[in-house]
Amino acid sequence: MGHVSKRLYSSASKLAVSTSRLKQFPPKEAILVPDSGKPNFFDPELWAALQPPPTSALTAFAHRIGLANVLSSADVVRRACTHKSFLNLHAKYYPSSPTPPTNANLATLGNSLMGLFASEHLHAAYPHLPTRVLKAAVSAHVGPLTCASVAQEMGAVPLLRWHRQPTTPMSPALLHSDALASIPRAITALVYQEISLQSARKFVQSFFLSRQVDLQSMIRFRDPKRALTETVEKFGRERPKSRLLKETGRYSNSPVFVVGIFSGQDKLGEGFGSSLKMAEYRAAEDSLHRLYLTRTPDHLLQVPSSTFPFKQGNIYKTGLEVPYTPGVLGEAEILYASSGRSNIVAPKRPTLEEIEARREGLDV
Amino acid sequence: MLKPRLSLWFTRGYATRIAEKPPARFPDPLLNAPNVAAKTLKDENLTFIHRPPPTVPSPHSTTLAPASPLLKSPTPSNKHAPMPPFLRPSAYNAAPLRMSDKDIEQLRKLRLSNPEKHSRAKLAKLFKCTPNFVSKIAALPRPKRKEFARKMEAEHETVRGQWGEKKATFVAIKQKRREFW
Repeated sequence: MGHVSKRLYSSASKLAVSTSRLKQFPPKEAILVPDSGKPNFFDPELWAALQPPPTSALTAFAHRIGLANVLSSADVVRRACTHKSFLNLHAKYYPSSPTPPTNANLATLGNSLMGLFASEHLHAAYPHLPTRVLKAAVSAHVGPLTCASVAQEMGAVPLLRWHRQPTTPMSPALLHSDALASIPRAITALVYQEISLQSARKFVQSFFLSRQVDLQSMIRFRDPKRALTETVEKFGRERPKSRLLKETGRYSNSPVFVVGIFSGQDKLGEGFGSSLKMAEYRAAEDSLHRLYLTRTPDHLLQVPSSTFPFKQGNIYKTGLEVPYTPGVLGEAEILYASSGRSNIVAPKRPTLEEIEARREGLDV
Repeated sequence: MLKPRLSLWFTRGYATRIAEKPPARFPDPLLNAPNVAAKTLKDENLTFIHRPPPTVPSPHSTTLAPASPLLKSPTPSNKHAPMPPFLRPSAYNAAPLRMSDKDIEQLRKLRLSNPEKHSRAKLAKLFKCTPNFVSKIAALPRPKRKEFARKMEAEHETVRGQWGEKKATFVAIKQKRREFW
């Protein structure tokens, strides 16, 4: 067996290539013709990447994630697992074959749906979370990296058909995780199309929103004391003041201080540290964590999209009204370090005089 | 006259045992803490003891039982309630009186006319306020602020260049430690 054949068989076994479905294996392109003077350029990995995954693997995948009734045929699953970057590759090597359907539209729809479900769930669960933290939490739950992880856990990696694209002046590089992330998004869109919005929400809830995300470690501040002062002012309370609760070893090489921040008689938060400043910083952080990470209990959690009907059809038509109590709206967030400006400096817009001068210049 | 001492035959006037301090028995520190949760599994001969650190705040805060007093009604102020001491001695000073509008105008005029001559520190001393207050109410326009920052940065660069290896290492360690606050 030549080394080309060995690579062919090993590539075929690594990727989910079903050799039984092919008319001829090894394929014609792989067989060396010693008589003709034409050189043979054959890349086994490329060939394996171009072949569709076998029907058995696709059906098994649909059953594994419990959506056998939604992903009814293997073609639907194949479409969900084909990224749009695959089209160029396919057209280049099989120009006469019909173009395979891709998950581009499904992935876009699914991404919007997942963003909707995650945002409303997190906003209902943490009513006092500031906007930039809410955005980060939504990314943590349904962002591209999480989607790629979920696709790996589902076992969609050998079923993905894509083609790596390097950075171009017009677009960034396409990574494996981005292509993988399109698969759960496409599946969400398929569930929405085949069944209903509620079922799509259930799917996203079970695979994405039930994941544990440590929000406390994600929330960091540049100046927590300033943020706390502004927050307390928003709530109309007394100015926060730091008090020393406990200390030990002040003049040793390992002191420990415990500082509490009080608004009047109420202790907003406390923190420890090896210096007074560090303890105060941590106390301010703790005060803000206690406020931001206040969670709605699960039995009281209700999201607006639960009011849509369960059946397929026009969601704006009045149907069975589900009793819905809107959640608590948190206090308006402070301006400091909010996502308002995001440190982005907008380009200076030309004044009226400049515009007229330009026009006159052109006329002249 | 000697009283009849029947006890002479029934008691002894000496000790049969050398007096010993009783052995010190200390309570088990694992179980003696105030917030201990101990669970024993007799079958596996295991004991789980959870001693939460005395000042770690609870991570759980729900809308029904919020951990933040901002989400609850404020406790009525009681001037005689014992409170822990303030962190800094300056907190015991009375808050300064509000600056009059005339003074604010004059401060702004001085600062914006010649920021180099009328520095924040000098104006703070003159008007009896803090340099941060001067920055807030008499903020310089952005290009001027950037120019000052650049000048300061250049000065600091030259000073940092004169540091020895040890000093540079210690400063770097301090900066790294600051990241872990």
